[in-house]
Amino acid sequence: MPLPATLFCGLDISMSIGLLLAIILGLAAVGYVIGIRRAKDRAGGDTRRLHSLAGYHGQSVLLFTAVPALLVVGAWLLLQPVVIEARVSGMIAESDVPQGSSLDLVMSDVRRVADGLNAIAANEQLTEDEIAAMGADLGGLRSRLGNAGVALASDVQPSVFEASRTYRQMNNTGLTALSISAILVALAGLVFSASRIQAEFRARNVSESFVKLLFIGSSFVAVLTTFGIIASLVVESVHFFQLYPIKDFLFSLTWNPQFRGGSDLGIWPLLWGTLYVSFVALLFAVPVGLLSAIYLSEYASKRVRSVVKPAIEILAGIPTIVYGLFALITVGPFLRDYFAQPLGLGTSSSSVLTAGLVMGIMLIPFVSSLSDDIINAVPQAMRDGSFGLGATHSETVRQVILPAALPGIVGAILLAASRAIGETMIVVMGAGAAAKLSLNPLEAMTTITVKIVSQLTGDTEFASPETLVAFALGMMLFIFTLGLNVIALYVVRKYREQYE
Amino acid sequence: MNDMRLTERAVDATDVKISARKVQVYYGDNHAIKDVDVDIPDRMVTAFIGPSGCGKSTFLRSLNRMNDTIPICRVEGKITLDGEDIYDRRVDPVQLRAKVGMVFQKPNPFPKSIYDNVAYGPRIHGLTRNKAELDEVVEQSLRRAALWNEVKDRLHAPGTGLSGGQQQRLCIARAVATSPEVLLMDEPCSALDPIATAQVEELIDELRANFSVVIVTHSMQQAARVSQKTAFFHLGNLVEYGETGQIFTKPQDPRTESYISGRIG
Repeated sequence: MPLPATLFCGLDISMSIGLLLAIILGLAAVGYVIGIRRAKDRAGGDTRRLHSLAGYHGQSVLLFTAVPALLVVGAWLLLQPVVIEARVSGMIAESDVPQGSSLDLVMSDVRRVADGLNAIAANEQLTEDEIAAMGADLGGLRSRLGNAGVALASDVQPSVFEASRTYRQMNNTGLTALSISAILVALAGLVFSASRIQAEFRARNVSESFVKLLFIGSSFVAVLTTFGIIASLVVESVHFFQLYPIKDFLFSLTWNPQFRGGSDLGIWPLLWGTLYVSFVALLFAVPVGLLSAIYLSEYASKRVRSVVKPAIEILAGIPTIVYGLFALITVGPFLRDYFAQPLGLGTSSSSVLTAGLVMGIMLIPFVSSLSDDIINAVPQAMRDGSFGLGATHSETVRQVILPAALPGIVGAILLAASRAIGETMIVVMGAGAAAKLSLNPLEAMTTITVKIVSQLTGDTEFASPETLVAFALGMMLFIFTLGLNVIALYVVRKYREQYE
Repeated sequence: MNDMRLTERAVDATDVKISARKVQVYYGDNHAIKDVDVDIPDRMVTAFIGPSGCGKSTFLRSLNRMNDTIPICRVEGKITLDGEDIYDRRVDPVQLRAKVGMVFQKPNPFPKSIYDNVAYGPRIHGLTRNKAELDEVVEQSLRRAALWNEVKDRLHAPGTGLSGGQQQRLCIARAVATSPEVLLMDEPCSALDPIATAQVEELIDELRANFSVVIVTHSMQQAARVSQKTAFFHLGNLVEYGETGQIFTKPQDPRTESYISGRIG
């Protein structure tokens, strides 16, 4: 197949992949038309004789053409870099890695040089031999690469050049092979599914079960990703606990990371900060949210409700960084100037109270919107029954509606709590970054999420306990919010059983 | 109980509990009740019959101002309870509903215990001074609703766990517990099986000793079995009102006769 080889060799990767996808989809569209035509032919022009509508025959051909080919493309693109990296990195001897650098850095140079070679080859219409010849003049190569937009710190090492050349060649052959095999798979699917079309062929059942498989596959993607996240957390946490005793992590009361070693990494100050900030947030959000939900669902006229409810829900659409700004420049200084300093409780504008209040505002729509829906779901018969006995509206709300809606409201609050525990931005900007065990709500404190960010920022090498602790913290946080979510789901489900 | 003739029951027919004059009910632009005049006697069962959508439930709900909870609903005319206008500005609908209790079509026990369901009314109206009195009221109401023997051992089990017929009797006990003067029942047996229906009908007949009962029903047999007076509604009009025996044997209006003999409705 010389045609695709020349077609894809010189082109940029993304372009050729785009072209490939277009070809596959084009084949699928052709397959759709062929499927319909063939089905009609087989029925002798009388579509009533078909088991399935002609459209289903087209659909089954379309699916069998496109889906396997697209799966091949996806899997190939995932695996190709892994295979090529492994092969190419074997070409670079340990002596070629400069002092103070690592194989990873050299490999990234290899990739950049390979990109540069691609650009030069495309610009100047070079053959493979001419590219190989460039290895003779490595100094000139650096400036040519510079012209092509790839700036390098030093001359290209011979081994790096060879590695880049191989990398580039393997990539290009890989892509060619991918294109050929994907198109072959698409054609095979087309021919196979078109050839089995008969009047009595159950195309509807086939294409519907095929689509069902697609649905199952999509849901597995989400589930598998979750497992992947958990696995990476667990693996890195295990690394951490090999370097740092789990006992100290769980029971030490100090958090004092030192990047030269010998740090105290006790989770308690962070856990305390997390719980304290979340508690303040819920203390603010739950009453406000719940009361506004009661107002909206029970007392507000239709017109008020149609304005106020969306207005509250706007709060949920504000990015948390904006809440953070609000905490930093408005709430923090206000609390400091009017409460903390006059009362002699602190001089910091970041405090638990600042972060808690602002986070509480963020949580109001969670509590109020969910509770509102839940209160509305209490059957009208309950209200009628209570009114019919001569209860006032407020007695009805307090004694019948709220108890009936309570499990659902608890679920709403727990969901809000897991949001609060996982919140980062508001805490960074509102509560500061000092890990402290203190009861004073006007003092700066910090939370698990903030420390995860600060332990990982600016460092790419995950080898010391000071960086690895982030994963252990993440795992604790995950366990915590997972627990809350499980409780919330359990409570909500129990509630649902009551009225359905 | 099967005797439909009022004259043999020695009831003082002049004792009017609720009186309605020129009552109009509107849902938005829809004129649901037109010019209804009716006198509901004390200590008797009055049945409202008529085809679906004829306005009998709407009229029933205007007797204790339950229609107030529907924003687009408007009531005109005069309805008096013991000679007092219930739509007067000074009347608190909440107090009115304590005097005119209501039982609904579908049993609607609160998701509380059986005891708390019955104790709900006495508690909100402050009818008892202590726990012992409240216990007494609860027991009495459950006995009146013929439910006591079935639930006396599980008063603190949820009311929603009872069977449909038991739930409806629980709702009747709940309504009785506030000691109302009038009990309105909106098709109380339509969600029940024949055995539970028979129990509730028997109960209604007993309640007559203490209350004035108004019952909306689709079943003409039921109206004939439990009521002393019957009102026939059709398309929002009160077509005919009189002694149950008379309505079912010698209806004055041809529409009543058609309905009773199954030609309309």
